[in-house]
Amino acid sequence: MTRDCDAYAVASRDIVFESFDGEAVVLNLANGKYFGFSDSGSRVWQALASGIDARALIGLTAGGSTLGAAELEHFISQLLELGLLVPSETAAQPLPGELPAELAATSEPLDVSIHDDLADLIIVDPIHEVEEPLGWPAVKQAS
Amino acid sequence: MPRVTLETLPDYARHLITAAEDAAACYPAARTIRLPRLELIAHVAPGVLAEALGHAFLEAEDDLAEPSTCRIFTVHPGIGGIPEPARWGDAHFTEYGFAERLAGAELRGHYFHDLDFWQVYDPERRIGVQLMTSPDAFPPWEPTAPLRAFLHWEYAARGMRLTHAGTLGANGKGVLLAGAGGAGKSGTVAAGLLNGLDSVGDDYVLIDLAGGVTARPLFSTLKQDPQGFARLGLQQRLMIESPLNWQGKHTFHIADIAPRPVPAALDIVALVVPHIGGGETSSIVPVSRRDAMIALAPSGIMQMPGERESGFRFFGDLTRQLPSYRLSLGTHPEEIAGTLADFLTRVVS
Repeated sequence: MTRDCDAYAVASRDIVFESFDGEAVVLNLANGKYFGFSDSGSRVWQALASGIDARALIGLTAGGSTLGAAELEHFISQLLELGLLVPSETAAQPLPGELPAELAATSEPLDVSIHDDLADLIIVDPIHEVEEPLGWPAVKQAS
Repeated sequence: MPRVTLETLPDYARHLITAAEDAAACYPAARTIRLPRLELIAHVAPGVLAEALGHAFLEAEDDLAEPSTCRIFTVHPGIGGIPEPARWGDAHFTEYGFAERLAGAELRGHYFHDLDFWQVYDPERRIGVQLMTSPDAFPPWEPTAPLRAFLHWEYAARGMRLTHAGTLGANGKGVLLAGAGGAGKSGTVAAGLLNGLDSVGDDYVLIDLAGGVTARPLFSTLKQDPQGFARLGLQQRLMIESPLNWQGKHTFHIADIAPRPVPAALDIVALVVPHIGGGETSSIVPVSRRDAMIALAPSGIMQMPGERESGFRFFGDLTRQLPSYRLSLGTHPEEIAGTLADFLTRVVS
């Protein structure tokens, strides 16, 4: 089904984020995975999470070059696969007036990095992992 | 043996609290521990855990604030009226789902399935139960920082936080050393203590964000792997004969190597992320708050049950309040301590 706009929303209440000097850190509370964004990725993440129409971002200057449709589509597909965003059917929000200038001031390309080295531990307990298909309390055997 | 599911979990938690309170007359001993803003009364049977309660804490002797009291019953079926621990009965278990279910009932809890080890806490009444199959059937990490889950829940309810970080300071000002295990926190803390700096803790400290970032001591234990222990000259200094802990590390106490009594608090002036640098000398350079947050928050949230979102917000606020730096560790303890002492002088001035 074709959507009237290309807007997104934060995938669930388990996705929480904080911004530091314009750089976002996102945590999935349910699985313990952390996500760090590049400076341009942080701005785009926050714009998408607030429900703007993604198409409004195409052609803006970001990370030292012009943001292309393919680059943006790839970034959004990453965020969808990571479970951070879902497509939204609600009306898109307007592009914040300050966003083009903020994006133009960024120096890094769109990027999101995953910090999941502790995620398995967060899901279960400080010491043990479990066999996921079997679930608790089947303790994963050391290989 | 009864089985507990997510559906029955809150009822089971309340059942344990009621059973422990009803058996209050049967406990052999109670120990009172004075912590910052908190009087912890632990009912515990003689044994390793009781001994740990005697030496694992740094008590807040000079804390002038009126403390609240929380009462923790460490119980087992050998005490009259205490039931056998139940087993987890659902096919799947996640810490998050477990904690969320209890939080919905205004309770906190943790379950370690290997030992059917239960911890449940009612933060409104400040009463908790640690149920074990026998007096010594606790996870191996418990004696190092006993009852830490209860302290985590109680302090979180007050807007404070047990934080997985080391500390070093001088003249009441200090830095918070953040990072996952292996980042070099413990070695840095020990190097600082051996060379004249203060610390209010190496593994878990209590952080309060009211009126700036303040770190207060809770636990006295320090840990070092055998290589670090030898490098720091601790083998000759401490003459420890006790076996290594469950992580293969030597354990000792801040007072064993501190240059002076542990301060009641350190005003934290910077967040420092150490890493093994590989060079001879140490260096400290600014790092983004994003990277500092990712160094600080995951292990702090991972090592404590529940309160995950509030922890994320808390560590976000903490990170926002402090300048952040990366510390590349050199190879000589004196040089590392000197670098940090000089850094503290610069930041404070």
